[in-house]
Amino acid sequence: MKNKLTVNISPHLHNNESVSKIMWIVGISLIPAGAAGVIIFGLNALTVMILGILSALVTEWLMQLLAKRRITILDGSAFLTGLLLAYNLPPGVPLWLPAAGSFFAIAIGKQVFGGLGQNIFNPALVGRVFLMASWPKYMTTFTKPLNFDAVTSATPLAVLRESGVIENISYLDLFLGRRGGCIGEVCILALVAGALFLFWKGYISWHIPVTYTAVFAAFVYAFGGDGLFRGDWFFHILTGGLILGAFFMATDYVTSPLTRKGQVIFGAGCGILTAVIRLWGGYPEGVSYAILMMNAATPIIDRFTRNRIYGTMIPVNRK
Amino acid sequence: MNAGQFLTIFISSVFIYNVILSRFLGLCPFMAISKETKPALAMSLAVTFVITASSMITWLIYRFLLLPFGLAYLRTVSFILVIAAFVQFVELVIRKVSPALFRFFGIYLTLITTNCAVLGVAVLNIDMFFADGRAVAGSFYYSIFQGICTGLGFSLAMLLMSGIRERLDLCDVPKTVKEIPLAFIIASIMSLSFLGFNGFKF
Amino acid sequence: MKKLFREFFKGVIKENPTFVLALGLCPTLAVSTSVVNAVGMGAAATFVLMGSNAMVAMIKNNIPAKIRIPCFIVVIATFVTIVEMVLKAYTPGLNRALGIYVPLIAVNCIVLGRAEAYASKNTLMNSLFDGLGMGAGFTLALTLISSIREYFGSGKIFGYALSHKFEPVSIFGMPSGALLVIGILLILFNRLKGRKS
Repeated sequence: MKNKLTVNISPHLHNNESVSKIMWIVGISLIPAGAAGVIIFGLNALTVMILGILSALVTEWLMQLLAKRRITILDGSAFLTGLLLAYNLPPGVPLWLPAAGSFFAIAIGKQVFGGLGQNIFNPALVGRVFLMASWPKYMTTFTKPLNFDAVTSATPLAVLRESGVIENISYLDLFLGRRGGCIGEVCILALVAGALFLFWKGYISWHIPVTYTAVFAAFVYAFGGDGLFRGDWFFHILTGGLILGAFFMATDYVTSPLTRKGQVIFGAGCGILTAVIRLWGGYPEGVSYAILMMNAATPIIDRFTRNRIYGTMIPVNRK
Repeated sequence: MNAGQFLTIFISSVFIYNVILSRFLGLCPFMAISKETKPALAMSLAVTFVITASSMITWLIYRFLLLPFGLAYLRTVSFILVIAAFVQFVELVIRKVSPALFRFFGIYLTLITTNCAVLGVAVLNIDMFFADGRAVAGSFYYSIFQGICTGLGFSLAMLLMSGIRERLDLCDVPKTVKEIPLAFIIASIMSLSFLGFNGFKF
Repeated sequence: MKKLFREFFKGVIKENPTFVLALGLCPTLAVSTSVVNAVGMGAAATFVLMGSNAMVAMIKNNIPAKIRIPCFIVVIATFVTIVEMVLKAYTPGLNRALGIYVPLIAVNCIVLGRAEAYASKNTLMNSLFDGLGMGAGFTLALTLISSIREYFGSGKIFGYALSHKFEPVSIFGMPSGALLVIGILLILFNRLKGRKS
């Protein structure tokens, strides 16, 4: 986000023109990852995406109708939530799952708070952890890449969790997305391309994603191996939803801190929490939980990293 | 007594079985005093202090008074009385010694007297760290540590919630949702995100 | 007699401790995972409410005003201890399921609240029925919440499967589901109230 937009806390984002432009541009930047997902997992992945988006739009419309607010389903934000939620689902899920997830994401994650700009948590992630808590069976059944008979396979991280050893899979395969995983997270190449596009357009700054990835990698390198400083950090960056999370979800304007300092703290917190959950938690992947926890901490971070207002006196008797 | 046990107590009482978000103890102050950060912090400090101290006191009473005389069934009655007396006592002392400190968190002490979190942790300590009427090894330290960590968990939830509610204060939240209902929904999402620590193992 | 009924129904609906007074939410959230637990908890709390209300109404003139709260607490805790012992002896399963929330009835604000606000100013019979009514209201609210949670969370009510048409939404059985259900019920309640006025 460019400087001109980081002025005050989020409610003023109601300037619809620019918001919807940002949303659609972020949507465009996600196209390569989605396309890669469809190529890797087949048309089923496309159906999941469409249903996620449709359900998000319908829910947004219904909730705004119910709350007697202006209908803004075309501002792109509900579209983006539905799309991101679908990207965080395994490709072979039953088709009601993305619909239920998007419903929860929009209704509880966003509209209850009064709509865009006021939500505390990233709606797509709220939807995802809701699905994860409610129907873990479907959320952890993955299909094999480039195999259209819907053969199930485990993700590299799940294999690591089960057996304790890293699966024999090349970095190139991981980079191109030839692995089991969620629809939008597997193809790192496409994600990086999208992220570069956003950087170039100036819609995201390096502070959150780079700190997130770097702190995460450092932590995994230090504690993730047999001894100190022997962890396979590169493997950990390429697997799971780290890149998708760090570049497209942790950077959500509404739910991340506003100041540079706050963003660095936010990114570092996400990185550490993700690594801790991955290395020692019960789930193989911790990106969504880490980001949600830091979302909850965002107002506090903002509060303590507030820029000093120029022209005011520093109180003399500070404790 | 080992470090792993302490770490387990830490993770489980701060995150997994967070006193507010998972055990639902101390919900009343959580809902009532989390509107602003400063009072929330003062309250958290008071609760942490009282929980820790009362974990220690109730453990001693149970181990050296109730158990030897076969009065274990008086647990609830005696704990409540002791906690209430202790809180009153601390309040008196603080009021006398430091009026400034009293103004900062003394008023919250009064509210804690019948806080379910305090009694809850005391009972929990007895349930967890006594087996067959005898204290397990290191039980005293575990109890105190569990008290501290529960207080930390309370403070964490309190701090996050107060920050969030302070921000939402500036927002145009639907009227029917505002304040308490929304606080419950936020707590629900926070509880969901703390699920990430489930099944923690070292 | 009519007055006694009024005392009773007041607690069930108009001054429902959970939904109207928003008191004693801790056990409401914690034990509402299944209807059986909820009813057990409701019954235990009702017994404590009636006992402590009656006792407080009887001794109200004999205790000095300054130390009345500690006295109430002792009375309440005594009844809680009775409940604890009974549950442990006759329904060990329920006792285990309710866990620390049984002794915690002693610090439930409903119980102390009624002792202070009602029983210390009213006659024995009125207090007894007030306790019964509040207990019934509490049990009703618990049953409602636990039915929602048990049905959606496991597709069952009272442990019996009702329908297999949907996949149980296991979040409803979790702590966050409890918070969610209360939050949504409160929103609905507010909407209804808003429509009336």
